[in-house]
Amino acid sequence: MDKTLQEWRVTTPLPPRFQEQVWQRIERAETPSPSLAEVMRGWFAAAFARPAFAIAYVSALLVAGLVMGFVQAGQKTARWDRQLEARYVQSIDPYQRGQ
Amino acid sequence: MKRPALILLIGLFAAVAGYATIYHLGTKQHRQMLENPAPELAWLKKEFQLGDTEFERIAKLHDGYLPRCAELCRQIARENTELRQLLSVTNVDARAVEAKLKAAGDLRVQCQQSMFNHFLEVSRQMPPARGRRYLQWIEQRTLTPEQDMARRHDEHKAMGHH
Repeated sequence: MDKTLQEWRVTTPLPPRFQEQVWQRIERAETPSPSLAEVMRGWFAAAFARPAFAIAYVSALLVAGLVMGFVQAGQKTARWDRQLEARYVQSIDPYQRGQ
Repeated sequence: MKRPALILLIGLFAAVAGYATIYHLGTKQHRQMLENPAPELAWLKKEFQLGDTEFERIAKLHDGYLPRCAELCRQIARENTELRQLLSVTNVDARAVEAKLKAAGDLRVQCQQSMFNHFLEVSRQMPPARGRRYLQWIEQRTLTPEQDMARRHDEHKAMGHH
């Protein structure tokens, strides 16, 4: 076994820039991975650098706000309508005042 | 301030401003109604699309009806008190109780008649189609509770069978 290993020679040539690549891999492994906040910051910076994306983002939030306002106002006014309707009925029908 | 943070804030501001504007405009009419001294009448005006003249007449009718209604309520309460007194003695006078029940019943009928007349008067102040709608709606809510009573009987019966 020892004899065989001593006689064994590697004849295949190394790939080009082998050493450089090895050092790069070591360097990457030693560098700490970026935090989520950094990733997000990077993503936002890249995304908002595109004017079309920034306009779409602002427009989407504006529309979302308008829709939510519309829905909530509708719910609120419907509740007030029911309360005022009951109040009118109670004001003219004494049998409903105790209910 | 960095550009991405500024855009983020502008987006959030747009959402809040959009929400507040629509909510404020959407509830404006109702908030005004609630600030009214008689919000229930303001609601009636909105619901049946009454003009100012129609509304004034209806408000006057409403104000005139309430004291009559209150007087009948006082009389019914008096009859009920007397009925309770008759029932509280050891030997209950069945005839007197019967007479008192009838008197209280008559007053209730009078009360309902007064209510119905008021509904008619109010409906007459409105354009015909809206007047009919008012009459249908108010009668369902006030003068025909028997439907509810029948439903409650049915529910009670159904529960008894299970």
